[in-house]
Amino acid sequence: MEHKEQGIPPGWSYNPASWGQRLPIVVAAIVGFGIATYLALFQLKVFDTVWDPFFGDGSRKILTSKTSQILPIPDAALGALGYLVDALAGVIGGVRRWRTMPWIVIVFGLAVGPLGFISVLLVVLQPVLYDAWCTLCLASAAISVVMIGPAMDEMLASLQYMRRVKDARVSLWKAFWGYKEVQGKVI
Amino acid sequence: MWAQIINAILGIWLMASATILGYADAKTITDNQHIVGPVIASFAIISWWEATRAVRLYNVLPAAWLLLAPFVLGYDNATATINNMAVGALVLGLSFVKGKVEGTYGGGWASLWKKDSLHAREALKTPRTDLEK
Repeated sequence: MEHKEQGIPPGWSYNPASWGQRLPIVVAAIVGFGIATYLALFQLKVFDTVWDPFFGDGSRKILTSKTSQILPIPDAALGALGYLVDALAGVIGGVRRWRTMPWIVIVFGLAVGPLGFISVLLVVLQPVLYDAWCTLCLASAAISVVMIGPAMDEMLASLQYMRRVKDARVSLWKAFWGYKEVQGKVI
Repeated sequence: MWAQIINAILGIWLMASATILGYADAKTITDNQHIVGPVIASFAIISWWEATRAVRLYNVLPAAWLLLAPFVLGYDNATATINNMAVGALVLGLSFVKGKVEGTYGGGWASLWKKDSLHAREALKTPRTDLEK
């Protein structure tokens, strides 16, 4: 009974969708959003200079590099958008969302994964292509990597739920979108 | 978890050590460290959490590469060779240290490919009356 009150998935020792589990990721995403927005505003020439306590001219070099202009919008703006999706996908839904709305949990997991991957890729490109480092870009990358682990446990709980749905021959489509009619058919 | 904290530090050390040890002019060696370092640090950090602890094993490959790189890429710098091989050996060894896993995770990621699993068995035992609409 107590387990169900807290929405703990079967076979788990805790609920990965509880607020205590989710809020730190949301806070990290908001911090990442702030950093990426600041860098994007420099790239959009709203600010003339960019803060870098360690690598001097490095940040400017990186943020005005060819790689950062591959896309029609500056890469930091895309990063900011990624963090915003992470924060929203972290906030939406209650503590049972791993089974009441698997889609948001899976969007959350899929948003956190690639954001981290691209951040690490950009960290590699900084010194290899441009022989420079950018402090805030590194900070942003660190945040996006730290978010991956804690987001994946909830994804695992949702995927296990989807597996039970499949084994019970209930519609995966309806379970994924959290249709009322399939709620409770599978736990 | 301590083992994966050390591996994360070793990854960051790879990113910084070419400059600190003074062989940053050796472009191939330095590039290699700048590529492998962030990869090792990222895998190590992801495996800090119990549910993704298995990701520590992804570091076996980059660590083994560090042991081979001095020969494959023909390092001509003794300091760099020792640094890379020492870091490679440490990361390789530490990536096998699982550490304490206190929580249970419904049978983990492997359960997704199995019909009979901890989460499936536990779900059958759970009364579901209050879940009906």
